[in-house]
Amino acid sequence: MSVAARSLGEAFVAIAGRDRVREDPPSLAAAAIDGLIPKWIVSPTSVDQLGPVLALAADTRLAVIPRGAGSALELGNPPARVDVVLDLTGLDRVIEYNPDDLTITVQAGITAGALATRLATHRQWLALDPPGAAARTIGGIAATNASGPLRGRFGSMRDLLLGVRFVQADGVLTWGGSKVVKSVSGYDVPKLMVGALGTLGVLAELTLRLHPRPETERTWLVPVESARAAQALVERIVDSPLQPSRLELFNGTALRLVSTESAGAGVAVSIGSVAEAVREQGERLMAIATVSAGRIVPMPEDFWSRAESALAPGRGSTVLHVAALADRLAGTVGAIEEAFRTVAPGAAVCLSASASLGTLRVTVSDAGVAETVAVTRRLRALVAEVGGSVVIARGPVELRRAVDAWGSVEPRAFALMRALRDEFDPARVLNPGRYVGGL
Amino acid sequence: MPLSGSFLQELERIVGAGGVVRTLEGRLVYECDMHTFYKGAPDAVALPTRAEEVVDIVKLCRRERVPIVPRGSGTGLIGGAMSPAGGVMIGTNRMDAILQIDLPNRCATVQPGLINLSLTRAVASRGYFFAPDPSSQMVSSIGGNVATNAGGPHCLKYGITTNHILGVELVTGAGELVQLGGKAVDHPGYDLLGAAVGSEGTFGIVTAVTVRLLHAAEAVKTILASFTTIEDASEAVSAIIAAGIVPAALEMLDELMIRAINEGTGAGYPKDAAAVLLIELDGPAAEVEAQGERAARICWERGALEVRVAADLAERALLWKGRKEAAGAVGRLAPTYLLQDAVVPRSKLPAIMRELIAIGARHRVQIANVFHAGDGNLHPLILYDDRAPDELERAKAANEELLRACIEMGGTVTGEHGVGLDKAKNLPLQYGEADLNFMYRLRRAFDPDSIMNPGKLLPSHPACGEGFRPSRPHVPAGAWI
Repeated sequence: MSVAARSLGEAFVAIAGRDRVREDPPSLAAAAIDGLIPKWIVSPTSVDQLGPVLALAADTRLAVIPRGAGSALELGNPPARVDVVLDLTGLDRVIEYNPDDLTITVQAGITAGALATRLATHRQWLALDPPGAAARTIGGIAATNASGPLRGRFGSMRDLLLGVRFVQADGVLTWGGSKVVKSVSGYDVPKLMVGALGTLGVLAELTLRLHPRPETERTWLVPVESARAAQALVERIVDSPLQPSRLELFNGTALRLVSTESAGAGVAVSIGSVAEAVREQGERLMAIATVSAGRIVPMPEDFWSRAESALAPGRGSTVLHVAALADRLAGTVGAIEEAFRTVAPGAAVCLSASASLGTLRVTVSDAGVAETVAVTRRLRALVAEVGGSVVIARGPVELRRAVDAWGSVEPRAFALMRALRDEFDPARVLNPGRYVGGL
Repeated sequence: MPLSGSFLQELERIVGAGGVVRTLEGRLVYECDMHTFYKGAPDAVALPTRAEEVVDIVKLCRRERVPIVPRGSGTGLIGGAMSPAGGVMIGTNRMDAILQIDLPNRCATVQPGLINLSLTRAVASRGYFFAPDPSSQMVSSIGGNVATNAGGPHCLKYGITTNHILGVELVTGAGELVQLGGKAVDHPGYDLLGAAVGSEGTFGIVTAVTVRLLHAAEAVKTILASFTTIEDASEAVSAIIAAGIVPAALEMLDELMIRAINEGTGAGYPKDAAAVLLIELDGPAAEVEAQGERAARICWERGALEVRVAADLAERALLWKGRKEAAGAVGRLAPTYLLQDAVVPRSKLPAIMRELIAIGARHRVQIANVFHAGDGNLHPLILYDDRAPDELERAKAANEELLRACIEMGGTVTGEHGVGLDKAKNLPLQYGEADLNFMYRLRRAFDPDSIMNPGKLLPSHPACGEGFRPSRPHVPAGAWI
């Protein structure tokens, strides 16, 4: 392309087209990130436009914030600079769907909802259900390594991403991985890109591993008196021949939101398989639950989508992602509730946990910034004993200014991360300041 | 370049005189892995027992710019654990302890030299197992599995090694001891663990591994179905997957392989079968029962000659016997063979099998096939007689052509064995300059002086060299610059 432009805005127009570049103040104000207003919103319609946009940004030292559906803009630290919001929702095509191979290649801006609709025609799915997935983009889910209750059975995006096309900070289009379900040729670049928040490159196309959708999936809820009883039940299920597709623990507050039950805690279990096996495993589950908890309640088919809506964080609330260990789950639940009770007694603390993995999602409303900071620090000290972490996945900018959203990273591992960031984005074009340690 | 006397003294000071192999006959033991084409003995072998010793060895080698090659059991198939440029080989064989078994969190931490199967044996009585099951699992080390990101017949359902690694302790090429990942499943920051698994010793040496343990399945069902054509067998595979069944393993043998096995082990496959499909299902009993019936029905519908279902463990072992002895059985057809590991999308199996026959005919070599049909991972054995003039050359030519054919069908050059020295030259079939350059720069972050397993994994290509920059897109010229 050899085009002369009189301004940077005109240059973006030359690349992406006039109707794909916005500079009007209301649009820019609406696209502000943590209070920083961009100068341009560029919405490419092809992967070929991404490279020139980033090359131009790199040459002129602009800061670029890649954005999908915009659902994770409060994840991480506030950006140091914002010049260009790179809106990827125009890249929403399915490139190649091979149902026989259980693989699909999509552009990063397609939503998980649109993808699910396409896959349903072949009774397949991307077995990944982070909160709000339907509206989120696949690129955003990958960049933030978001996951939900299916993770315990199917893993997270790191286990499902086979290949990835991305654009490096200097505009170079790069491919990593493969388009087949099994490959060890070269380094596993896709894993490196998952959860990197676009700081090593903007995700453009993703090749995903799919699973057949179970013929039948049924869900039961077991209300129990306490988190400790919930953990004991979870352990009995995990140690049994049952193979749940989802196994989620709720604290009392969350339980009341997702069901009409009122108890100290609850465990939701889904079994997905052929109908005969679901029936048979369901009976065994009932036997286990009846012995340990006394009661088990069948849930309607749409339990998980209703639970997701019921637990969706309201405006101004904070979401923490806590990684602990499965055998400390009850203790961790107790510690989180106790921390908020003592520091921020008025707060509502909703907890759901991927019970077999020991990860928790904590949604807090009605807690002040100072209180949440104090709790975050306290929890970090607690999970540090087991090598765990507490990440602020969502929260007001004041909170993420007051405390590092990611927590500390072991210094020698961090030195390697910084070396990678320095190598691939020395000018900090991509998401400056938002990632771990302010990278 | 031989190592200096003072270097060797320092090496002995680190690991003790008993931990260094210096004699020629001692070093020759380490000159190759199971891919015996590639030979190169190290100038010395160090056998450390602790991570601190590994750190000291790497620092010493870095200071003196001496190349390091890590080695586990040496069962790799890619010319990975051999020393083309001499230097120091670090054998992990003496680091073979189980450090911790943590069943409540379903994980274990082990030293890298521990044999794969030893871990499963240690937890089997309590109902658990370590899922990656390369055919070498009785002898291969977990550190080696991590280095090559090893697969196995059961990775169709369970995934390859990387899906089962929670953390590693790694001594980088810079001599830094770093913990990547750990028992907790989420660690903020780049997934360096994910990048390190499968890095074939080019990032450093793993000194401890935390692995996931899985609960053993309640029931297993093994089915053997034979077909008159590869197409019918391939269609059965697709139909099984399309029915929503993900078997634990789905293996196929072709006509030539069936003949070799029948003559050898007496597995008793039907004589007129052109393809044998081995299907293994595991999981809760009711699921296995229902899916087993369905899979058998699909095989009949696709024209199976015969469908056998193992009734007990002994019958299961019998059905697997032929598959497990496949590589040995081809010894009856030819003295030696080249083993390939390429992958095609599963739906391309019939097409690649036709192509294989054409390639074999073109180069006048026999190709026997045993492969992981469920994930399209081919293991053609290209047979040749190393005593006959030019047979090896023809086998090699067929091998290269086969790889190209797989890539053209959207596949990859290695599914589970790894790259090593053997396939480094093939990576440009699959990756462009920018992609190779990205990988090269990634490697340098871990190994700034290029001492770790040099010559392996990445090709000697301008894009994998210092100072190379891939071409950038053009941007509009303007007045702002």
